[in-house]
Amino acid sequence: MNPIARILRKRWILYLLLCSPVAYVFIPILQNDTEYFADPAKYLLEYVGLASTWLFVVVLSITPLRRLFPKAAIVKSLAYHRRQIGVSVFIYALLHFLIYYVYTGSWAEFVKDWDKLFILSGILGFVLLLALAVTSNNVSVRKIGAKNWKRIHRSAYLIMFLLIYHQAAQEKTGFRETIQVFSPLIILQACRLGLYAKKRYAAQASAVEGDRPSS
Amino acid sequence: MYISKRKSWNLPESAATSESDFINRRRFLKAVGLGSGALLGSSIAHAATSGFPSKVNTDYRPDGLEPTDYDLIKGYNNFYEFSYDKGDVQTLANQGWETEPWEIEIKGHVANPIKIDVNELIKKMGGIEQRVYRFRCVEAWSMVIPWDGFSLSALIDLVQPTEKAKYLKFSTFYDPKSAPEQKGGSIDWPYVEGLTIEEARNELSFLATGIYGKAIPNQNGAPIRLVVPWKYGFKSIKSIVKIEFIGRRPLNTWQALQPREYGFYANVNPEVDHPRWSQASERIIGAGFFSSRKDTLMFNGYGEQVAGLYDGLDLRKNY
Repeated sequence: MNPIARILRKRWILYLLLCSPVAYVFIPILQNDTEYFADPAKYLLEYVGLASTWLFVVVLSITPLRRLFPKAAIVKSLAYHRRQIGVSVFIYALLHFLIYYVYTGSWAEFVKDWDKLFILSGILGFVLLLALAVTSNNVSVRKIGAKNWKRIHRSAYLIMFLLIYHQAAQEKTGFRETIQVFSPLIILQACRLGLYAKKRYAAQASAVEGDRPSS
Repeated sequence: MYISKRKSWNLPESAATSESDFINRRRFLKAVGLGSGALLGSSIAHAATSGFPSKVNTDYRPDGLEPTDYDLIKGYNNFYEFSYDKGDVQTLANQGWETEPWEIEIKGHVANPIKIDVNELIKKMGGIEQRVYRFRCVEAWSMVIPWDGFSLSALIDLVQPTEKAKYLKFSTFYDPKSAPEQKGGSIDWPYVEGLTIEEARNELSFLATGIYGKAIPNQNGAPIRLVVPWKYGFKSIKSIVKIEFIGRRPLNTWQALQPREYGFYANVNPEVDHPRWSQASERIIGAGFFSSRKDTLMFNGYGEQVAGLYDGLDLRKNY
């Protein structure tokens, strides 16, 4: 195992990494960033939302990375922490949700925009994340059964589409940030599908080969 | 006999901003680690339209409104020519973009077309005055800004539009070398805005050359910009190089980009939501994390002055 993978394997290192976005919140304050002071709620809302999205991209990249690089030690370390990273996606999403409440200022304002796809996609994504987070423990896996548990957790892909929409709708023009954030994930998932198709094709071909009567 | 009618936006002198802003600014400069001399010096060297004393027009001081902190006015800017990031514009617009000398051209269906240096234009207009206007961005945030400048209608009187002039088309500068975002992207540069001639003649329509009694900072649209306070902020085009009096309605940049979301009129209207968020209320810039929202006012509180412009117009369709 290479040293980076070994360090990554340590749980306290992981927790440090997962908490690091919080420390970063203080930088705009120290730098006297006017964008922060103009509207701290909006700044933090967008900031924790982006942190959640990046972590989501990381967690959903793990499976394709494992398929593509089955022997890589770093990928194995990452996969070892998958559940913790997944739960941290939810924690940042929860912060995003709570700050959104503060940003709207009142319950009446809060619920007013739920009919808009931009907001609705966020709310739905959050509810689904909540369901995944509360079942992210061994007890739940046992209770639900591994097969059903897996089925439930496949809704992460539904969340992915909701999140891409939510991120894109947030941009006033173009999709620059959305492409920045999601292109690594899209590329990895596409490679994974490509690999899957190739394997299936190879399996089919060998099956056909096997059917042929031997001469 | 002239009767001074006290209007809804009339206000006592006490709302005027004073030297405390200068002090705040110094403190800010110190905090970001810049020698105050360095930045003040350079901004004065580049800014046109400085050195014009501004007299406060007490008719335009909305009641009970506290002007937004100067540091936030010049540090929170939507100026897509430089950056999509509101906090970065301040830096990027002051890295070699020259706003002096600056010529502005006024042409089209007018009797007296002119092409003139902005400083000369201010002299021609007889100096500048200060008005405190509410400023409401389409992104549901708002400021209160003490603008220095002159009324657009005075300029219209100067150039004498003919009967064919129905609209004003405003264009900003095009200089991709200084404005990095103009190099590409999804926007068709230069930025364009428009008003009907009736809107342009309204007493509120203003051309600003300063803020808080100082030359307008580059990032706020130096050296001359439009201010139409009853409309969303994007209508108030910055750094104008050309005003054309034309017969047909111009296609403004945001309408061209997203016609379903941004129209030609873009009047502040709490009842017509943006497709992605509500316009019923607004965040107040500088009010802090837990500040509650303020209800957005019809025509941003200027209904008394402008509602008549839109009689019989369906504001839901003509957003």
